[in-house]
Amino acid sequence: MTAATRAALRAGIDEFTFHGGTAPALRGVGLEIAPGSLTAVLGGSGSGKSTLGKVLAGWLRAGHSGALRGSLELFGTRLDFRGSAGDPRINPAEWSRRVCFVPQDAAAMLSTVRSTVAEELAFGLENRGTPRQDMLVAVERAAAGIGLSALLDRDPATLSGGELRRLAVGCAVITEPDVLVLDEPLASLDAAGAAQMADLIRSLVARGVAVVVLGHSVDRLALQAGHWIVLDGGIATAAGSPAHIMGSPELDASGVRLSAPAASALPAAPPGPAFNLGDVPVILELQGVGFGYPAASPGRPGRATENAVLRDLDFSLRPGEIVAITGPNGAGKSTLLRLFNGLLRPSYGDVRVGGNSIASMPVGGVAASVGLLFQQPRDQLFERTALREVRFGLRQLLGSEGADARARAALEDVGLSAAASVHPADLPASQQRLLALASVLARDPAVIALDEPSVGLDRHGVERLGRAVEQAAARGKGVVLVTHDAGYARTAAYRNLQIDAGRLREV
Amino acid sequence: MRLHPFTALTAAACTAVATTAAASWPLSVAVVVATAVLAARARVAGRVLFAAAVTMAPLCLSLLVLHGLFFPEGRTVLAEWGPARVTAEGLEFALDLATRTSACVLVLLLFSFTVSVPDLVSALAARSVPPQFGFVLASTLTLVPAIAARLDRIRQAQEARGLLLRGGLLSRLGALRLQMVPLVLGLIDDAGIRAQALEARGFGAPGPHTIFRHVEDPPRQRIFRAVALVLAAMAVVLRLLASWPEVASP
Repeated sequence: MTAATRAALRAGIDEFTFHGGTAPALRGVGLEIAPGSLTAVLGGSGSGKSTLGKVLAGWLRAGHSGALRGSLELFGTRLDFRGSAGDPRINPAEWSRRVCFVPQDAAAMLSTVRSTVAEELAFGLENRGTPRQDMLVAVERAAAGIGLSALLDRDPATLSGGELRRLAVGCAVITEPDVLVLDEPLASLDAAGAAQMADLIRSLVARGVAVVVLGHSVDRLALQAGHWIVLDGGIATAAGSPAHIMGSPELDASGVRLSAPAASALPAAPPGPAFNLGDVPVILELQGVGFGYPAASPGRPGRATENAVLRDLDFSLRPGEIVAITGPNGAGKSTLLRLFNGLLRPSYGDVRVGGNSIASMPVGGVAASVGLLFQQPRDQLFERTALREVRFGLRQLLGSEGADARARAALEDVGLSAAASVHPADLPASQQRLLALASVLARDPAVIALDEPSVGLDRHGVERLGRAVEQAAARGKGVVLVTHDAGYARTAAYRNLQIDAGRLREV
Repeated sequence: MRLHPFTALTAAACTAVATTAAASWPLSVAVVVATAVLAARARVAGRVLFAAAVTMAPLCLSLLVLHGLFFPEGRTVLAEWGPARVTAEGLEFALDLATRTSACVLVLLLFSFTVSVPDLVSALAARSVPPQFGFVLASTLTLVPAIAARLDRIRQAQEARGLLLRGGLLSRLGALRLQMVPLVLGLIDDAGIRAQALEARGFGAPGPHTIFRHVEDPPRQRIFRAVALVLAAMAVVLRLLASWPEVASP
C-alpha cells in the first residue's frame, strides 16, 4: 500500500457521550479520509457536525470531555477506546501537529495575547520552536493565501467577522497539518473571501492535505468535495459520492440547505407590502450620517485619528418594508445597524426613529422602537436559560404573565420551545442565532435590524427566519437585514442596497 | 528612540531604589515632577496621576496624621491640642516619606502605563522565561481592559433590549448587578474554549519555543541598564554606610 492511498485519518465512532450528557452526541459514525482529498460532513442544526470535528481533531478527547467507544486511526496508528479509565489518552499538542481544527466561532481560535495579525499567525509556530527566519517566510505565505497580507500589522481584536475567520484558518494552515477540519469555513465571508477560501482549500488538497469541511449547506466547498457524509441527530445516515447522495431522502431529511444561498430554502421573492409605501410615514431615517472609528496612530500612543467608515449616508425605511444591505467584509454594515438604535452615535448627521432624533435618547429608550440582532449571537445572549433570555426586559412592557406568554410564543416561532430551560451557551451556534432572533422579535419593535441573520442556519432555520421576517413586515414592521448571502438578500427583501465607499446605493 | 522594556523597567526600578536610598524630599519632589513631565509627553499623564492619586491620597493623609500630629522626636512645636502636637520635625518627616513614596509609585505607574505588553512578553521569552509565565503576565496586564470590553458587550446587549441606564449611582449599581452573572459565566465559558484552542495550538507542548516578535535591544541601552544598576547599588551601599557609621570606621 502506498502512502498516497493509505488513510490519513480513519474513525469508527460507535458512541460519544459528553460527561453529564443523557444521550450520545454521536452514534455509528465511520469515516476514512485519504491524503489529498476533500470530504464534506453535511448536517442540519444540532446534527453533531461540530462535535464530530472536535473529536477528530482532539479538541474533545475521550475521558477528558466525554466517553468514547470506538477507534481513531491516524496514519496507521490506531487507538481503541472502550469508554473506560484504561483508554489511551490523546496528547492534544502532539495530535494537533497532524490534525488541525478551525472552530465555527473563529475568535475562539485566537490566543488573545498577540498584538498583531502576524504574531497571531506565528503563535502556533513559536510553540513548535520554529526558527524566526522560517516563521517570517511562513507568515508572509499564509497571509497571502488567506488574503490578509495588507492587515499583518492590525490588532486581531479590530478585525471584522470575515477577516477573523480567514485569520483563524490561516493560524491552522500555517502549521502545515496533514489533516485540516474546518467548521463552516465560509460563514460570514463575502463573495471574494469565499472564492479565496475555496482556492486555498483546493491548493491544500492538491498539496496532499486531507481536508474535512463541516457545513449545513451544499455550498461551493461541498460541491468541490469527492465524498459526503450526512449527519442527522448524531448519526451518519448516508455516505458516498455527491452524485449518490444528492437528492437522497436522507439529505432531504437532514435539513441541509441544497445550495449555498439561503434563498434555496425560501419561496420566490415576497410580493411586497400591500399598501402604497409613499403614503405611510418613514419609521427610520438617516440624514447625511457619517461615522468613523478612532484609530491610534502608530508610534504615537494616545493620539487618535479617525478611520471613516460611513460618509454622508442617507437612508429611510417605511412600515412593511424589507430592505437588504449587502457589501464586502469590513464595509461598515454592522456599524450602520448599530447607528439605528444608538449603540454607536454618528460623527455627524442625524438618526431619526418615528420622526424623532435619537441623538439625546438612551439606547434603552430607543430599544422600544428598534430591535437589533447582533452578528455574533454570543455577544447578545447573557441569561441563564433560553426562556429567561427572551423574557429579559419584557416584564416592563407586558407585565409578568404577558411577558412569559410572549417569550414562549417567540421561542415557538423559531422552533426552540423544547429548549426553553437550556442554557444559551449549551445550544448549537445556529440555535443561538435563532434564540437571539426570538429575543428581538418578542419585543415587537417597529424597526427590526438583523445582522447576518442566515449565517449558520440550516434549511429549517432559514425557513423559520423567512417566515418570521415576512410576518413582521406584514404586521407593518420595517425590517433591515445585512448579509453576505446575495441570494438570500434577493429573495427575502423588497429593496436591495449595497454599501459602497461608505454610502448606500440601490442594486 | 524606542525603549526596550527592560531598559524602561530598569530605569523605573533604579529611580525608585535611588530615591528611597537618598531619603531627601527635594530629590523626591524633583523625581515626581520629572515623572509627571515624562507622563505628559507620553500622553498618559491623566491616567498615571489619577491612579497615583487613588493610591497615594489615603497614605499621605495617614502619614500627615501620624507623624504631623504625633512625632515623639519633634522639638519645634508649631501648634498643640492636648496630646496632639504639630511639630516642624514631624511635618518634615511626613513630607519626606510622602514625597519619597509618591516618587516610587509614580515611576512604577509610568512604566506600567507606557510599557508595550507584547514587547515585554517577547523580551521575557527571549530570556528563556517560560511562555506560560508570559501568557499569565500578558493576561493579567490586559485583564482589566478585557473585562471592561466584555462588560461593555453585555451592557450593549441589555440596552438593545430596553435596559435604561440613567446617571444615578443606584441605577448604575442595579445595572452592574444584572451584568455580573453573565460576566462571570461568560469568562468561565471563554476560559474553557480558550484552553482547548491553546492546547491545540501547541501552547503546552514541551521543548523549545521561539519568538516571532523582535524587540530591538541596542548596545547603548544595555550599557545604560548596567550603569543604572551599578548606580542604584552604590546608592544603597552609601545609604547603609551613612546609617551605620560604626561599620565605616572600625
